[in-house]
Amino acid sequence: MRVREVEESALDWVWTHRDRFALGDDALAADGQVNRTWKPLGELTQVCASVSRCTPPGDPLHTRVSELLDFAWQQTHRGELFPLMQSLEPFATYPLEVYAAFASAGLRHPGYEASAAVLTRTRGWRLTEQYPTRRLGVLEAERRSGIDPHGDVPQALGRTWLGGLPEPWTFERAAGYALTHVVFHLTDWGRTPRGVPEDLADYLLHWLPPWLDTCLDARMWDLSCELLAVAASLPRPPEPAVLEDAWQRVAAARAGSGAIPEEGAAQDAAGADPGPDPYDFADCYHSTLMAAFAAALATAAAARPPDVRQAARPAGQGAPG
Amino acid sequence: MPSKDKVLEEVTRTENIDIDAVLDPAEPDGVFRDSRECAALALQSGGTSLLLSPPTPRPKKG
Amino acid sequence: MEQSSTSALLQGTVLDLASDVVSALRSGDHARAGSTLTAGGAAEGVARAAVRVLGADTLLPSVLLRVTPDPAQLAVFKEAVAAHPPRHDAAPTVMWSHWAMTRALRRAEHPLTGPPRDEPDAEPDARWLDDAGWQFLTHQLAVLAPLALPGEECAVTRVARGRPVDVARGFVRAVRRRDWQQAAGAGRWLTLLDGVPDTLGLEAGLDFVRLMGGSDPRVALQLEAARLMPAGVLL
Repeated sequence: MRVREVEESALDWVWTHRDRFALGDDALAADGQVNRTWKPLGELTQVCASVSRCTPPGDPLHTRVSELLDFAWQQTHRGELFPLMQSLEPFATYPLEVYAAFASAGLRHPGYEASAAVLTRTRGWRLTEQYPTRRLGVLEAERRSGIDPHGDVPQALGRTWLGGLPEPWTFERAAGYALTHVVFHLTDWGRTPRGVPEDLADYLLHWLPPWLDTCLDARMWDLSCELLAVAASLPRPPEPAVLEDAWQRVAAARAGSGAIPEEGAAQDAAGADPGPDPYDFADCYHSTLMAAFAAALATAAAARPPDVRQAARPAGQGAPG
Repeated sequence: MPSKDKVLEEVTRTENIDIDAVLDPAEPDGVFRDSRECAALALQSGGTSLLLSPPTPRPKKG
Repeated sequence: MEQSSTSALLQGTVLDLASDVVSALRSGDHARAGSTLTAGGAAEGVARAAVRVLGADTLLPSVLLRVTPDPAQLAVFKEAVAAHPPRHDAAPTVMWSHWAMTRALRRAEHPLTGPPRDEPDAEPDARWLDDAGWQFLTHQLAVLAPLALPGEECAVTRVARGRPVDVARGFVRAVRRRDWQQAAGAGRWLTLLDGVPDTLGLEAGLDFVRLMGGSDPRVALQLEAARLMPAGVLL
């Protein structure tokens, strides 16, 4: 099956390049680039946690992502770096968000959770100025880390682009990334499709097709993969034809190594005759992870028992011809 | 009303124009560009504390 | 060289003609609809070709404003229908746009009684839309926007009525691609369809298309049609 192939080849690339996710000395440095250290490691962890949940224990992919999770946890010194980060940057939210990905895979550090709870109780933490989508992510990170969320999810949702059900033709890249993350947070990264309220599910089923089509046309492979993950996180699946078309186009964008470039610009830079592994880590790691994530969710969604999937309303539209 | 001959002549002339192509146009390529966001005015510059940093020392004259 | 200058001339005439129709729809003065044709501004052959390209929408002011078309305009329209019959192997949009013109002509010639019932009004084949994906469907419907009229009944309108969500998706896609002509044509269809999701925000969407692409008279024409459509008298 094509979707499974995308998942396998993407995880092949991740496995081959796992050392690039390792935390270097700059991970704790005051002038270190957290977007190049903690962020990729957290994303690796989250995707592996999700793939692990979506694949049965005997599956070779399950084994592979379990090994990657071990690798990632080792990078944090089995969680010891989290309290250390907290002592250095007590009011940063990203360590808790990265930690939450480990916690969802069952890799936990009770001491860190207890000390994080001291900070999340402050008014200052609650009033941190950030994008509404990020706010939702922090609330979910607290919940996943065993901490009482500092606010209310429906209220945070209402302030996001997606939560307001905007005109779908106002969709652009930034709105797209905001909405995919809202769905990831609402569904615990695809684990609980019922976390998507009914009106949002209807809205997404209506408008995912043109968003996917135009992102694929614009060769925005990274956002396309995130939208495919959203499609696989809904209580009811979109039309099969929409998904088949999108997966074919994503599969065709793969390099020989299994890497998927973030955007078409990387493909242009690679030239007409790219080698099997033509992209810089920074230009493909995220999209390749998202492809594996979306493919794992899609494969699991397709395998859900029919009675659950058919609970959907009929997808007919319009008056009979 | 133009004579039949004249109509025919003009039809022949406008045959040069590929009307069918105009009536059955292919879809133009999509044009994609996202709106950008500039950092808010008077916001600290990229975390480098530009507004707060002391002026660069200049070499003293003579 | 000659062909390209001829087609540039045709293109310009189509735009002039579309501007006339837009002015007429905005002012309610249907006589202005054909000033490009009746003022002798274009060579007759080019004028006829331009009418063929703009199609049944050339008579749109008389249809939506419910008035008899100017006889001189009607004469050119009739000649355009006669001079540009579709070849037997023409593309479906070519067949259907010609059919729409024939239909419009009959209605214009029989404004009170409607087309005579004994005259066969055979529709072209519509099977090319049977399995059309929503993208292709919307593009073809936008090309055939002259068929989007209140109360119009033909195979193409039946297909459109059966797929309001798909046409709405096509509208979103066209706006995203900045294909204002397709977006305007799809928007015109959507004003006629039941079952369009409210979240589309069609009214604001049409305003947006006008803002972004309304300087093209072919876009403006579709938007004016969409504006008048809800109030339009059924054919």
